[in-house]
Amino acid sequence: MQAEAAIRARSGLKGMQPVLTADRLRMSFGGVVALNEVSIEIGRDELIAIIGPNGAGKTSLMNCMSGFYRPQEGRIVFDGEQIVGRSVHHIARSGLARTFQGTHIFPDMTVVENIMIGRHMHMRSSILQAFVHFHWAQKEEMQHREIVEEIIELLEIEAIRHQPVGALGYGLRKRVDLGRALAQEPKILLMDEPMAGMNNEEKEDLARFILDVREARGIPVVLVEHDMGVVMDLADRIYVLDFGKMIATGTPAQIQRDPLVMKAYLGEK
Amino acid sequence: MDPAGIFATSFARDAALVRTRPQQIALALFLVFLLLLPVLFGPRLLAISTLILILSVVTLGLQITTGYAGQINLGQAAFMGVGAYTTGFLATKLGLPFWLTIPLGGCSAAVFGFIFGLSAVRIKGFYLALTTIAAQALFHFFVLNLPWFGGSNGLTLDPATLFGFAFVTDTSIYYLCLAVAALMTYGAYGIVRGRFGRAFVAVRDDDVAAGIMGIDIVATKATAFLVGAFYAGVGGGLWAYFVRFVAVDQFTLFNSIWFIAMIIVGGMGAITGALVGVVVIKCIQEGFVSLGPSVVSQFPSIGGDVVFALMNVFLGSVIAAFLIFEPRGLMHRFDILKRSYRMWPFPY
Ligand SMILES: Nc1ncnc2c1ncn2[C@@H]1O[C@H](COP(=O)(O)OP(=O)(O)OP(=O)(O)O)[C@@H](O)[C@H]1O
Ligand SMILES: [Mg+2]
Repeated sequence: MQAEAAIRARSGLKGMQPVLTADRLRMSFGGVVALNEVSIEIGRDELIAIIGPNGAGKTSLMNCMSGFYRPQEGRIVFDGEQIVGRSVHHIARSGLARTFQGTHIFPDMTVVENIMIGRHMHMRSSILQAFVHFHWAQKEEMQHREIVEEIIELLEIEAIRHQPVGALGYGLRKRVDLGRALAQEPKILLMDEPMAGMNNEEKEDLARFILDVREARGIPVVLVEHDMGVVMDLADRIYVLDFGKMIATGTPAQIQRDPLVMKAYLGEK
Repeated sequence: MDPAGIFATSFARDAALVRTRPQQIALALFLVFLLLLPVLFGPRLLAISTLILILSVVTLGLQITTGYAGQINLGQAAFMGVGAYTTGFLATKLGLPFWLTIPLGGCSAAVFGFIFGLSAVRIKGFYLALTTIAAQALFHFFVLNLPWFGGSNGLTLDPATLFGFAFVTDTSIYYLCLAVAALMTYGAYGIVRGRFGRAFVAVRDDDVAAGIMGIDIVATKATAFLVGAFYAGVGGGLWAYFVRFVAVDQFTLFNSIWFIAMIIVGGMGAITGALVGVVVIKCIQEGFVSLGPSVVSQFPSIGGDVVFALMNVFLGSVIAAFLIFEPRGLMHRFDILKRSYRMWPFPY
């Protein structure tokens, strides 16, 4: 409790209702402790960055939050609901969207189809209505297609909307990935190293889109990122993981001055 | 990829299936051909055509389960058998009309398929294939041992009737099958082009990403089996009224493998692919059946069973060749041709 209060005081959240809290998560694989007493709190409208050296446990933390891993100890409360042990699709439907390290996108589907998948959870037509197709299912399809077109416009990918995603370059694929997550109309967006493997121009584009998204949607975004320049520019607040432990949190300016972080992370590079 | 000059003016247009004039004309001509077929063809070709329509319905179902949702299914013939027997039972023992027995046959097959779909949740690939083979064995066992299905004698049906009209002639049963096959094809397009079709492909291609999109993987796989088995059951119902005799050895593992062969040759994950596959495989089979006797009369030393064995060897090699050289089937090749034609004279 004290630690929590300390984090809250330092983070400047102060009494504001968080969207997601993770409380003392512990996750180990055999002898490897991937997460050790990790707590995190994400307020409305915050852009949070999680940094840390390779193998620090950043992806494991995201996997716990999105339901792919089940931490051995600890609780995660998202939008008022305790979600440890809930299925991935349940958590997704309650409003958590996430992109993966690398791409987990459907290569044979077109851009439009990929983003339409994001609408799946909001569509209601039954298999029988789909069989008959006319009217109900078709009308629903068109309504959701309009929302998808808005996202396509936002991400400036109009020209490639009918191309199979497998044929696109990495930068564009990540943009579609983001679009698909946005189509879910999430209450929170987690992105695991979205800029890894991008050139500077692509990074700048994606950074701009992430800021646009935050502005347009007003949702918190959690970003795992190695590029310090990007992190310092974008993030409101940073969490630093090292060997499964959360060693620091604070504004970019605070983090840059933190001696523990210097030692564990910045000093190393 | 659209031909030059065609621009979608609305999302509905954009999503429409038939979009160009030539496509409309081709579709119309094809439908006219199907309607006139009993006049154009003799009795044997007509019977083959009817059979093709029935098998198309079954193969469409397999295309949804295996081609779209990626769930290997070696029990499609058993699902068809469940439909045929249900239809046969309801028609002979309860005297229900065909417009009830065929959909109910589909439903009972769907339930049977759904049970196996639930088992598909944790099992993948090879082991799933084994489980679906178990469906085949289970079907066999139940039919022979439950008291309602005539045991090894099978069931003999009266013709389907509608307002006093009996579907006795080859022509009338052809039209019945055509109507049902057309409806089922239309329905299949509706399913695969909407949210369910996308969910099937998502589960097939990347179940991690499917989960994070809020897709319930368990329910989606089970639904794919349910839909595929429903199609098999409806095909089985048609079969019952076409042959007017239902027996357990009409629905063997061998038949299930043929259905797989049809979607491989036609092309996985395309509705038209299922239909093309049925036509191609059935034509090759019938070609052997009709050429066989004349070959045997020319070379008496070969013998009839050799011809039958040769047919299977030949078809087996065709399928192996497809898996090696054209794993995405004929429809994929056709799409490539169509695209390069539209781009002409630019190669890419
Ligand atoms: N499924 C798993 N099975 C076994 N060990 C795992 C698993 N997932 C993570 N680990 C281990 O947990 C530790 C943390 O891994 P994690 O992927 O969370 O690190 P990361 O911070 O995302 O690293 P990177 O920057 O390389 O992506 C590593 O030692 C890793 O080997
Ligand atoms: Mg990682």
